[in-house]
Amino acid sequence: MKHPMRNPWIYTLFTVPTLLLYGMFFLWPMLSSAYYAFTDWNGLENYRYVGWSNFAAAFGDPDFRRAIVNNLIFIGFSIFVQIPLIVLFALLIASVRRLRGFYKTTVFVPSIVSTSVIGILWGFIYEPEVGPLNRLLALFGAGPVYWLAEPKWALPAVLIANAWQWMGFYIVLVLAAILAIPRELHEAAVVDGANGWQRELNITVPLIMPLISVVVMLSIAGGMRVVDIVLVMTKGGPVGATEVMASYMVNEAMGINPNYGFGTAIALIIFAFALLLTSLYQLTFGRRTEGGYF
Amino acid sequence: MKKRLGAAILILFIALSTVLAACGSDKNENASKGNEGSASPGASAPASAGTGDDAGGKDAEPFTVSLRHIQIGEAQKFRKAILDDVVKKTEAEVPGLKFELDGVEDQVNRFTKLPAEMAAGNPPKIFDLFGGAGDALKYAKAGRLLDVTPIIEELGIADKFLNLSQFTLDGRVYGLPIGGSTEGFFYNIPMFEKYGIKVPTTLEELEAAAETLKQNGITPFAMGSKAAWVPLMMVNTLIGRYAGPEAIDGFPAGTHAWNSPEVTAAFAKYEEWVKKGYFTKGELGLEYADMLNQFVTGKAGMMFDGSWRASVFKDPSQAGELTGQVGFFPMPPVPGGKGDQTYVNGNYSNGYGFSADLNERELTAVKAFIKNMYNEEMQLRGLLEDGVLPSMKLSGDALGKVEDPLVKQIMETMRRAGGAFSHFDSTVHSEVYKESEAQIQRLIAGRATAAEVTEALQKIQEIANANQ
Repeated sequence: MKHPMRNPWIYTLFTVPTLLLYGMFFLWPMLSSAYYAFTDWNGLENYRYVGWSNFAAAFGDPDFRRAIVNNLIFIGFSIFVQIPLIVLFALLIASVRRLRGFYKTTVFVPSIVSTSVIGILWGFIYEPEVGPLNRLLALFGAGPVYWLAEPKWALPAVLIANAWQWMGFYIVLVLAAILAIPRELHEAAVVDGANGWQRELNITVPLIMPLISVVVMLSIAGGMRVVDIVLVMTKGGPVGATEVMASYMVNEAMGINPNYGFGTAIALIIFAFALLLTSLYQLTFGRRTEGGYF
Repeated sequence: MKKRLGAAILILFIALSTVLAACGSDKNENASKGNEGSASPGASAPASAGTGDDAGGKDAEPFTVSLRHIQIGEAQKFRKAILDDVVKKTEAEVPGLKFELDGVEDQVNRFTKLPAEMAAGNPPKIFDLFGGAGDALKYAKAGRLLDVTPIIEELGIADKFLNLSQFTLDGRVYGLPIGGSTEGFFYNIPMFEKYGIKVPTTLEELEAAAETLKQNGITPFAMGSKAAWVPLMMVNTLIGRYAGPEAIDGFPAGTHAWNSPEVTAAFAKYEEWVKKGYFTKGELGLEYADMLNQFVTGKAGMMFDGSWRASVFKDPSQAGELTGQVGFFPMPPVPGGKGDQTYVNGNYSNGYGFSADLNERELTAVKAFIKNMYNEEMQLRGLLEDGVLPSMKLSGDALGKVEDPLVKQIMETMRRAGGAFSHFDSTVHSEVYKESEAQIQRLIAGRATAAEVTEALQKIQEIANANQ
């Protein structure tokens, strides 16, 4: 007992308050609310245990299945469209000397603006009659497109607004990683006769791979829980075209005929999906890019 | 060594007790706040002080009563002014009372905020409430609403209300409608004159009018169906025409089926108008407020809306050039329609409800609020300033003061009607209403036919009726 700090009991004693708080504010609420997923609780009346029927009802509902697909589209869009663009913009900004700070700030601004504001802003852009987008299209003779009112256009419209909001944040992250690459590597490559394109592709991109891997993971998690931009812009409409799992949950758990039991079941499903996808990614692609100096 | 251990434990103990003390003091604070409200008998007069005659003195301990209203935005400013006056008057009458006004948008309050608060058991003390099976009656059943029957009896206004059915459960009243409304067509008078359109009295004339407007590049019916209750207003009245006024109450009773040919005909008529392009293009992306804009800016010639919109058209800052240039007519009779074709939609469903969880002083405040809000003076102000039809019986003298031609027209429409049917959103189960919102948008988007819509609705209705 010469060094009390090495005594496991002391350690335990010190962690007890944190564990208590963690249990009180995270574990207990999570577990106790998970129970409601197996009930038909509507928030007011007595509820009864209904087993797995909430989960069965969710997967049996074509609207929910469509919401899952929409979530996957969100993820796909961010991985295959947003991330390449993010890297491209980061490379471009990294290679300019003048006004780099200005570019960095401007691309970052949307991510500090409230989603409600973004939704309203893009609502103006997509406005069918006086919105700038349709007026631009009109210059080329294209008729008015009802961006947020037509089921086939609403999802792409929301995807773009969402991408616009978050790209800047990731650009700044990637940019930081690019700027941290030692200059000598590039200089050595120049001596070896590599041109700019080759240097970016063979030196910069491999070296920022660990960070890109993190961005991919954040995109997956973000794509699974996206909801605010959808609620602000379309509320999941028109006719469920932009419904994602979380907006489906909000509309079912609250709103007309609230069903908290069902809503909790959806929340658990979202949680399970997010866990599954991120761990799948970690076990496959994510593992390969581990290491580096990130 | 031992010392260190002791010190470690001491630190831990202090840390823990700090945390606990923080929690504890919080609780105490809450408790004392609660006491402030409930246990200050010195200042608060007994329950009968509601009339404010025996005010308990100026040095009464202050207390607040939360009041949730939906009178936000330009179109609601007249109604808000009335509320403000009632609040001021009530505060003056009840010593120490201060209302905490909380303005929330109607749909957010009705479908998001209030249900969540009801679930958690902490609704505001006074709040905007809708009547009917999905709102007031549901909350009343769960014991969340104050039974106002004794209060209105005490105030002598129990028999003054025109219709309390949507707030009445087992003979007890759980909320008070602030006004009445009917839904029908508003039309642009100069535009009708310009194109030589007469006010339609038959369905053919209405459709001919729509066709004329469309030929001239004007949307016949303004519409914003991002919120599905907006198109459902027209659908509801079409159901009343095609399937008869009893159908609205008949769905939950099981005497009328959604998928009957008559109800399907109502949806089919709506579908036909959608296909003919009679409604605003891109309506699924437009809000309720956009519908009014379409109409006021002359992009649309007609608008099917509630009579509560009437006040907009006498206010130049909202109606612009259309001020005083708007007329009103009910949905014309339809060929082959069942039942009395002169019936109109009539609702006494929006008003105020009160939390069941009130202490004595809060109850006093609620009583004074009811006294000041529900009287002939305020009802008349609502009618004259806001164009909202009264929910209480007014004397002929009072009614004679109405000068607004639009409001007169609306009242005349109601007077001539054989009777009134309510909106199905207050009669059917909430799961059925929810489905109707989803289905009408599918219909508008061309994803479902009228027959498919009514089939789907009937399916949900049968399940709901069976669970009853």
